[in-house]
Amino acid sequence: MVLQTRFLTGPAGPLVWLTAALLTATAQPAAAQMGTNSPDTARVLQLPAVRVAGIRATRFAVGSRQLTLDSLALDKYRTGTLADVLSARTALYLKNYGPGQLSSIALRGTSARHTAVLWNGFNINLPSLGEADFSLLPVSGTTQIEIQPGPAGATYGNGAVGGTVRLSSAAAADTWGRGWQGAAQADYGSFGLGASLLMASFSNQVLALRTSLSYRRADNDFPYYASEGGQRVSRRQENAAFRQISFSQDATVRLGAASELTAAVWLTDADRQIQPGIGTNNTHAQERDQSRRLTAGYRHVSTRHEWAARAAWFEDVLNYRDNLNGLSESSVRTTQAQAEHTWRLASNASARLGAETQHFAAWVDGYGAAPRTENRYSAFLLLRYDPRPRLQLSLNLRQAVLPGRQPPLTPTAGAEWLALAGGSHALSLKANASRSYRAPTLNERYWRPGGNPNLLPEESFGYEGGLVHTLTATPRLRLKTELTAHQQLVDNWVQWTPGERYWSPRNLRQVQARGLEASTELRWTPGGTYQLTARGSYALTQTEKTQGTAADSDPVGRQLPFVPLHSAAFSTDQAWRGWQLGTTLTYTGYRYTDASATAFLPGYLLLNASVGRTLAVGPGWRLLVLAQGYNLTNQDYQSYQNRALPGRNGSLSLRVLWR
Amino acid sequence: MKPFSAFASLPARLLLGSAATLSLLACDPENDPNPGPAPIITNSVFVVNEGNFTRSNADISLFSKASSSVTNLALFASSNKGAPLGDVAQSMAVRDSLGYIVVNNSNKVEVVSLAKFKSKATISNLKMPRYFASASSDKGYVTETVTYSGANGQVSVIDLKTNKVTKTIEVGSQPEQLAVVGSRLYVTNNGGNTVTVINTSTDQVEGTIPVGDGPNSVVGDRNGRVWVLSSGKVVYNPNPTLVTKGSLSMIIPGQLTATTRETASNQSSPGNLTINGSRDQLYYTYLGGVYTVSITEATLPTTPLIRQGTFRGLGVDPQDGTIYGSRAPFTAAGKVIRYRPTGAPIDSFAVGIGPNGFVFY
Repeated sequence: MVLQTRFLTGPAGPLVWLTAALLTATAQPAAAQMGTNSPDTARVLQLPAVRVAGIRATRFAVGSRQLTLDSLALDKYRTGTLADVLSARTALYLKNYGPGQLSSIALRGTSARHTAVLWNGFNINLPSLGEADFSLLPVSGTTQIEIQPGPAGATYGNGAVGGTVRLSSAAAADTWGRGWQGAAQADYGSFGLGASLLMASFSNQVLALRTSLSYRRADNDFPYYASEGGQRVSRRQENAAFRQISFSQDATVRLGAASELTAAVWLTDADRQIQPGIGTNNTHAQERDQSRRLTAGYRHVSTRHEWAARAAWFEDVLNYRDNLNGLSESSVRTTQAQAEHTWRLASNASARLGAETQHFAAWVDGYGAAPRTENRYSAFLLLRYDPRPRLQLSLNLRQAVLPGRQPPLTPTAGAEWLALAGGSHALSLKANASRSYRAPTLNERYWRPGGNPNLLPEESFGYEGGLVHTLTATPRLRLKTELTAHQQLVDNWVQWTPGERYWSPRNLRQVQARGLEASTELRWTPGGTYQLTARGSYALTQTEKTQGTAADSDPVGRQLPFVPLHSAAFSTDQAWRGWQLGTTLTYTGYRYTDASATAFLPGYLLLNASVGRTLAVGPGWRLLVLAQGYNLTNQDYQSYQNRALPGRNGSLSLRVLWR
Repeated sequence: MKPFSAFASLPARLLLGSAATLSLLACDPENDPNPGPAPIITNSVFVVNEGNFTRSNADISLFSKASSSVTNLALFASSNKGAPLGDVAQSMAVRDSLGYIVVNNSNKVEVVSLAKFKSKATISNLKMPRYFASASSDKGYVTETVTYSGANGQVSVIDLKTNKVTKTIEVGSQPEQLAVVGSRLYVTNNGGNTVTVINTSTDQVEGTIPVGDGPNSVVGDRNGRVWVLSSGKVVYNPNPTLVTKGSLSMIIPGQLTATTRETASNQSSPGNLTINGSRDQLYYTYLGGVYTVSITEATLPTTPLIRQGTFRGLGVDPQDGTIYGSRAPFTAAGKVIRYRPTGAPIDSFAVGIGPNGFVFY
C-alpha cells in the first residue's frame, strides 16, 4: 500500500511499484517459481526493468482442483502430443483409437465435448465437432498445460462442463532476460517412429521470442493379436501411418512501463491414415487435419486497473477420404475477440469484467453448399476477495448469448481456507460450486440430414469439496496430498440417435457424474545432485443417466460407456549427476462399451520407463541422450473397442541444448 | 431377416396333416383351392445384431420359443471360443442345416452350423456384402455394394460345397435384398429403380425390370410371383424430402415388367418386406408402424396393423404368424417386441446391439 501511494503521488517510481504489484498479484506462482528457478528469477527482480504482471484467470478459480504440467514435466514428451503426456502422467482417461489416432478426453465422467480446451485463453475445440483430438496437439506448441477438472463455465466459457484444459505459450514470469537459448532433438523408435524438434528462444528485458518446429511420423505397422475362428492369430496393423508437423511462434513485447503486446502463431498439420478396427474392412481411410491459429493481445496494467484485449483467428481444416465414400471436406474459420477490465479494489480484492465474441464460418460438405455462420457472445464478471489472509473467496458470473435457445446465467462460487498452518503441516479446505453450459456444436445444428437447429444448450450444475495437505518434513522433503470429492448433474445431454432414415442429435437425458480424486506428490532432494519426485493419483468416477425423455431408450442407473470406474497413475522421476530415470505406471479400469452395461473392455496396467543422461559438452552446450520404453510388460489391450495398440516398444532420442 | 430363405430348408421340417396348425395360418380357403405346402414348425429365432460400425461387436442372439426367452445373447462368440463374429452383421439366411451370416464391414460371409453354431467356413474378400440367398444346396448368391459412388454393384455366385466365389455378375447400383423364385434370382438395385433378373441355371442376366425408386426388399409368394418393396427417392435440399413415394411392385415370372402401386404418403420410406408362412400375406414397415396386405388385395392399406414404433428389423414367424419387430438405439442393447398376428403386443426381450432381422428355424 505504501508503494502504491507513492506511485499515485508521482509516476517517478513505476519500477518499484510494479515489482510490488507483481509480488501481490502473483504471490504464489512467483514464489513457486523462485523455488525451482531461483537464480533467474532473482535476476529478473533485481533488474531495473518493468514487469507487466496481469492477474491470471486461475486466481478467480478458487476452490477448484488444478493439475499443472510445467515445462519440466513436459520435457520428456517434447516431440509427443498432449495425448501422450496426459495418458502417461495423469489418471485421466483418454479414449484412444490407436497410436497417433483420435484421442478424446473424458473428464469427470463426461464426454469429450464437455471439456473446454483453451490456448492462450481461446477455445480451440473444433467448432464442428465441439471437441479436441489430443493427438493433434503437439506438446512443442505449448509451454504449460493446466487441467482444471469440474464445471467452470463462468470462468472459461462454453463447454467447461467436465473440465478445462488450458495450454499457454505466453511468456512466463521467468522468461525475461535469458538471452538466446536453443535445442534440437531427433527421435528414432519402433514401428517407423521418427521425430525431430527445433526450438529457439530469445529474451531480453523488452522482448521475448520463442519458436518451435516439430515433426513426427510413424508407420505403426505393429503386430497385434486377433481372435479368428477360435484361433489367436497374429496380424500386422495396416493403414495406421501418420505424419504431423507443428510450428509455433510466440512473441511478447513490453511497451513502456506497464503495457505489453503479445502475439502467437500455432500451425499444425497432420496427415493420418485412419487405423481400421480389428477384422474390419480397410477402406484406406485417410484424414488431413490442419489448424492455423493466430492470436494477438494487448495488456495495460496500472496500480488499480488492468486492461486487456485479445483477438484470435483460427482456421481448422478436416478432410476425410476413403475408398467407399470418397472425399469429405470441412473448413471452419473462427474469429474471436475478448476484452476485459480488472479492478484491483484493494490488496485483497479484485474484480474483472469482460466480454467475448465469437464468429464461426463453416464450409462443411455435410452442411450443404452454402457456408454456415454463427455468432456467440458472452459477458462475465469475476470477483476475488480474501476477507482474511487465510480465507480466499471467488464469485464468477457469465451469461452467454447463443443463436436459438439461451443457456442460463452460469455462476461459480469458490472458497479456500488455510485451516492449519503450523510447523511442518499445512492443511487447506476448499469448496466450489458451479453452473456450466455447452452450446450445441455446428455439426449438431447444421449437419444434414439430421442436424437439429432447435437443440437446447446443455446445462450442468456441479460442486466439489476437498482438502490439500502439505507436509514439509524438512526443507528437502515435501509431500503434498490432495483429496477431492465431486458431483455434477448435466441436463439436456445431447446424443445422436437413429431415426427411420438418418440419425439426429436430441436433448435426451440428465446425467449424474460423481467421484473421488486423490493425488499425492513427494519431492525429495536429500542433497548432492540427487532428486526424487514421485506422484500417485487415483480417480473413482461414477457416471450414469438419471432420467431421460421418452425418445431415450438407454437404461438409467448404469455406468456410462467408456468411462472407467477406476483409474490410477503412478510416476517417478529421479535425477543424479546428469542421469535421469523416469517411470510411469497407469491403470485404467474396465469400461463398458454400451449404455446397457453388458459388454466391457477389460482393465489394463501400462508401464513405461525412461533413462537418460545429460552431458556438458562445452560452454553452454549440453547433450541429452534419452531412451524410452513403452508398454514394457507387453500388454495386449484396447483403449477404444476393437482398435489394436502396440505391445512393447521404444524410442531413442538425442537432444542438443544450448544455454 | 429372411424368413423366405428359411423356407428353403423346410422340407425336413414339414409336419403333415396337422389341421390345428393349418387353422393358425391366415389363408383364405375359398380363394385357395391349392392348400400349398404343409405347415411349418419353428423352435428358435436367430436375431441378427448388427453391432456398432467398426467395433466388431456384431453377434446373433438366440431366442427360444419354448421358454419365450433369450437363451444366448451372443451365440456366435460363445460357440466359437469368444471369437467375434465381425463388423456389421447385415443379414443371415439358412440353407439346409447351415446359417450364412453376411458380415458387411468385414467383407465376409460366416458359415455356421445351426446345430452348434460353430464356424464352418468363411467366404472372404467380398466387397461390402449385404444379403445371401441360395438356389440349391450347391449354389448361393451374395449381393455386394462394392461402392457408394453410384456405380454398379455385383452379385457373387458361391459354390456352397467349397464356399468359394465362382463368378461375379454385375447388377445395378447398391444391390440390397435378393430372392430366388423358381429358376430366377431377383436382385433389388437400391441405388436405382430396377430389379435385375438372373437365370439360376446359367447365372446370366435375363433382364432388368423397372420398379419404384430405391427397391430394398423382395419376397416370392405362394403363386410364384415376386413382390418388391421400394423406399422411394429421398433428396436432401437441405431437409430430407421424399421426392418420389415408396411403392410395392409385383412381377410375374418370365415377364420383364412390374405392376407398381405407390404408397399414399411421401413422409416415410417403406422397408422390410416380409411374407408369412403360407406366403400369401405381406408385411412391411412404414410411417412408424407395421402394415400388412394380402397378395390378392387391390389397394395398399391406409391403417397400420401395429402403430407403435419404427422397427429396424421385422420378421413373421412362418409357423404361427407371430410378428417380431426390433428397436435398435445402437447406444444400448436392442429390444425385440413380439405381437400376435392381430397386432396385439405379446412381450419384449433384450438382445444385442443393433438388431436388424430375424431368422426362424
